[in-house]
Amino acid sequence: MQIDVHNLSFSYGHRTVIDSLSLSLSSGDYIVIRGKNGTGKSTFIKCLLGMNPVKNGMIFYDHQDINYFKEWTSFGYVSQKFEDFNYEFPITVNEFLSVSSLKKTSQSDRLKALDQMGILELLNQNINNLSGGELQRTFIARSMLNNPKLLILDEPTASIDKLSTEYFYKAVNQLNLQGVTIILVTHNESLGHLNYSHVLTMFSDGTYTFQTRDRCDLTEVDL
Amino acid sequence: MVLSFFTDLFQQDFMMRALLAGLILGMLAPVIGSIVVIRRLSFIADTLGHFSLVGISVSLFLSTLGISIFFERPLYLGILFSVVGGLLVELFRRSYKNYKEISMVIVISLGAALSAMFFSLSKKTGSLYNYLFGSILTITNYYVVLILITAVIVFTLFLIFGKQIVAVSFEESNAKMLGVNVGVFQFLFMIMLSIVVSVLLESVGVLLISSMMIIPVATAMKVGWSYRSTTIIGIVFSELSVFFGLWMAYSFTIPSGAAIVSINVILLLIVSFIKRIRTGKRLKKEPLTNEAIE
Repeated sequence: MQIDVHNLSFSYGHRTVIDSLSLSLSSGDYIVIRGKNGTGKSTFIKCLLGMNPVKNGMIFYDHQDINYFKEWTSFGYVSQKFEDFNYEFPITVNEFLSVSSLKKTSQSDRLKALDQMGILELLNQNINNLSGGELQRTFIARSMLNNPKLLILDEPTASIDKLSTEYFYKAVNQLNLQGVTIILVTHNESLGHLNYSHVLTMFSDGTYTFQTRDRCDLTEVDL
Repeated sequence: MVLSFFTDLFQQDFMMRALLAGLILGMLAPVIGSIVVIRRLSFIADTLGHFSLVGISVSLFLSTLGISIFFERPLYLGILFSVVGGLLVELFRRSYKNYKEISMVIVISLGAALSAMFFSLSKKTGSLYNYLFGSILTITNYYVVLILITAVIVFTLFLIFGKQIVAVSFEESNAKMLGVNVGVFQFLFMIMLSIVVSVLLESVGVLLISSMMIIPVATAMKVGWSYRSTTIIGIVFSELSVFFGLWMAYSFTIPSGAAIVSINVILLLIVSFIKRIRTGKRLKKEPLTNEAIE
């Protein structure tokens, strides 16, 4: 998915957190967004998801203005926490995945998504019996279920262990290899294990740097 | 006593009507109730019930003024006011975003106050008792048909939009991403809930509506392992409470709503007790290791 951001600015009251941000991404790009707490990373993600209204500047998806954009189902989104989700009412992972897509998904689609995250055995487990890490991997599997063109990941591995993190980045690289555009927000300063094409570094005064790098062959990435 | 109950059940028309209405409501209440529980709106049924009562009291008041159009069918104004109550809840919720329960307290208080006023002005406070505690044994054929139509509409909506309803209820933000119009869904659900609450009012009474919707689901949550199983188990508990509640209401001449809800609570206590014992036994067999605790 082609993404164009032009002179995007966003403020909370008098505090500017994003100041005239411009960037362009093509299908299959992989951008890492980094910065300390309060530098506007999540604000930028919310702008991209249409949760924050874009009043100053413009965002285009495949040359379509975000204000008229309708194909949100082509997005996958994984946040750090899922505070909005009701964890207490019984629902199996299979049921959860099945209601997570308005398109009819087959059992094999759901199994494939779980397998990519290494949690195939959780298919018939009640969600409220899962550990934090298993739950996060289930949410990540869900984001892959709709075959997204754009995957937005807001510190997705913050609460999961090393093995799960490895599974996760392998799966992300696979999706990227298939042409899915990836936007990854991370606190982690070390980017060695990621096969990114761009880095956006955001600062607390609203400024930013945007760098592009030549990528190594994805198939050679050793996680 | 038990024998005469069964004999009358199949010989007396009023008993057949009560059983039929009760069984349909017993299925309808937990299906809607499960969504109410998932959305953490357990008080909403009580709130809408109180506003539905305003509609009924207004119907009676209008009849004293000579406007008897709603006197025979007070349920119509009951449904209308219930919808108004639901819209008021949504309105107040926007003012108190982080204190959702405040909106329900405001609307429930307003509903109780207005109903008391109009019942008093209509000078028909005698019928208030039935509306507060329910009278399933006195319902008419017309009311049974109304319940049946409501059930058919609700189940059809669930068949068509079940996925969207469950998606929005479990996680609103993700449903938005999926392209579900959450605002439209909330409005439709509120209307559906208002109608169900209004039809429940006559059989279980305004004070016990939420119990009929919520307690079977709360019991089922203790033993259910999936959304589907929890809903089905909730329906089974609800039907059991309707049947035995009907028997109690008939045998001891007590309000049907009170009897049904009492059985619901007894079932909840029994299931909780059994689950506690079974969990205790399992923990004794498989004591938690340090690894499991971590």
